[in-house]
Amino acid sequence: MASETNANAQTIQAAQTTVPAVHVSQLVKRYGDMVALDYFDLDVQQGEIFGLLGPNGSGKTTAINCILALLTYDKGTIRVFGEPMTPTSYALKRRIGIVPQNVAVFNELTVTENIDYFCSLYVPKKADRAPLVEEAIEFAGLQDFRKFRPGKLSGGLLRRLNIACGIAHKPDLIFFDEPTVAVDPQSRNAILEGIQKLNKAGATVIYTSHYMEEVEQICDRILIMDHGRHLALGTADELKAMIDTGERITIETLDLTDETLAAVRALAFVIEASYDGRELDVRCRRGEHNLVDLIGVLRTSGANIGHLTSRPPSLNDVFLELTGKALRD
Amino acid sequence: MWSTFIVTLKTNLRDKSALFWLIVFPIALATMFNGVFGNLDQAMSITPVSVAVVKDTNWTNAIGADTLITALSGKNSDSAKTQEGTGSNAMDIDPGVTLLDTTKVDSTSQARELLSQGKADGYLKADGDGRIALTLSDDAVTEANNGTQEAGLDISLSALDNVLDQYNRTSANVKSVLKDNPTAPATRTFWNGINASMSATKEVTLTNFKPSVMARYYYALMGMACLVAMSYMIHTVTTAQANLSALGIRRTVAPLGRAKQLVAGFLAGWLCSCACLLVALAYIRYVCGIEVGGREPAAVLAVIVASFMTCAFGTMIGAIPKLTTGVKQGMSTAIACSLSLFSGLYGGFAMELSDLISRKAPLLAAINPAQQVTNLFYSLMYYDSYQPFVRTCAILLTMSAVFLAAGVIMLRRQRYEHL
Repeated sequence: MASETNANAQTIQAAQTTVPAVHVSQLVKRYGDMVALDYFDLDVQQGEIFGLLGPNGSGKTTAINCILALLTYDKGTIRVFGEPMTPTSYALKRRIGIVPQNVAVFNELTVTENIDYFCSLYVPKKADRAPLVEEAIEFAGLQDFRKFRPGKLSGGLLRRLNIACGIAHKPDLIFFDEPTVAVDPQSRNAILEGIQKLNKAGATVIYTSHYMEEVEQICDRILIMDHGRHLALGTADELKAMIDTGERITIETLDLTDETLAAVRALAFVIEASYDGRELDVRCRRGEHNLVDLIGVLRTSGANIGHLTSRPPSLNDVFLELTGKALRD
Repeated sequence: MWSTFIVTLKTNLRDKSALFWLIVFPIALATMFNGVFGNLDQAMSITPVSVAVVKDTNWTNAIGADTLITALSGKNSDSAKTQEGTGSNAMDIDPGVTLLDTTKVDSTSQARELLSQGKADGYLKADGDGRIALTLSDDAVTEANNGTQEAGLDISLSALDNVLDQYNRTSANVKSVLKDNPTAPATRTFWNGINASMSATKEVTLTNFKPSVMARYYYALMGMACLVAMSYMIHTVTTAQANLSALGIRRTVAPLGRAKQLVAGFLAGWLCSCACLLVALAYIRYVCGIEVGGREPAAVLAVIVASFMTCAFGTMIGAIPKLTTGVKQGMSTAIACSLSLFSGLYGGFAMELSDLISRKAPLLAAINPAQQVTNLFYSLMYYDSYQPFVRTCAILLTMSAVFLAAGVIMLRRQRYEHL
């Protein structure tokens, strides 16, 4: 896994010498008085899987729609493969695929007809298109459902059809907008593996999701944004290193007193500590002896210690620390 | 563009809801009209009246009585033709129409016997002066006065009464002239005079085709069906616009220009609308028997023009921003239903309203697409000249241009403020 990541990093480094797949500079987009994108910057290198993270309303979809030349914007520059992106940049559009969050297929057409139609918008000749359609059907695992109409497909199959329609023409740059919403773990796994396959075949992927573990699993680099601004950018490990949060320690103990809990909270490295009568949950700052010091306090107070786990910070912790815990729309 | 055309065609033809409203609904409504109004047409037709003819001495002495009855019975067309040649045919009665179904009896009592047995509606008897009188049974009188009767007995009796009255008057005139001038029959003036008096009442046709009181309802139905076809273009436009649907986003980011996608969708929508309306027209024409003035090719042209207009209308409605597809489809149904009221679809009151608007506010009638589609077929049926038809086509094409211009203005944006 580590060697694979290194190899990918090398590929990305090589790609960085070429033009970025997407370059966004100082992008400003306002909806009336509300600023949706506030001098937003983004660089996606060719060949990488780039994760775009942010709470609801943070500006992710607006940014993607601006890049795709669907939305007007007030200021800034957008380039795709080094070229300005406009609604009539048909040569560029030919290299782009999109998998929207909402399933966007014709309910009156079969699986094959849907894939064939969306592919035909990019590849007009039927003879050139036929093998691509077949490949997309196999890629999405829809071989047994060719003649099915969308109304007869399960949620997972529908998502896979949605993806097949977006990638059949073999685009160089693919936008996946939360492609795994409302699918079961098996389908989610299949979708993520598929995205990785596409990337290995040379496609650059821009991936948005609310599932942190997915982003951590497949993305080479991740950008976290909020309020239309760029908050942090890097690999998952780089992002984890950026935050103050260290490990999260959970200790099973049945006889923790209020005084002991207060003593735990008083420790300098403790950000937050809670006790539910069975388990003590402690979120720590970075430090080398956090666990030893915590156990020392518990032993001193005479508390019995049962099962104990220490988990390093996750992308979720990074996300919450950067964007806050306040509820969003 | 071709694949977009084919796909739009497929989606339209597989849209069960649209097929119901565009094919099943007009056929069902036309069938209903046929059931309700069919009897009305039957009641307006002439059917043979069953009569007994009292062949007594008076009848034998009544000159021409037998010839008249034979002609009215349609039994001896040769005789009728012979008389026609001399200019004294049987009261301009079409030889193809049988007005009487006669039974010969020797006396009035036998005739009354037939009436009491219900075997005849009445009897014909000549008096001493050769005048023929018709006596009806009570049952026949009751039936003729019954508004719900299916057959047109009252119409037949009215026609028969008119014919007998003409016969009696002419017969009296001839006798009077012969009494004063026995040599008069040898002159052409005498026969011309008789012929002139026979032709005092003459049916003439002012229109291109035999009018049908019910045809306008069917034409109004075509108007409504036409407007319902807007739904095709509403669907086509909303699925091509990024600000209206997810499908629109996917299609907008594709390298095929939006204008090409919309044109392909428009052509497919037009073709489907035409096909559906032609099915409805064929049903109305050949199953319900509603004529289009014998101008079927022009009626097909009318369908082509009408469906073009409805596609243009649908394009405009479909392009309205910030409304969901459901709202737009609802709007199209509401527009079709409400405009059909003013084109006379919903019965006599609506037809009177339609006529009132046409007389008092012709501009309102001119801007009602349902009324104009109705007028297309109406002008084919009732006018000898094609001018009214061409004028209505021009009105519909002007409407289409306005709708398309409005649609294009709304669709011309390439990027949006919001999605």
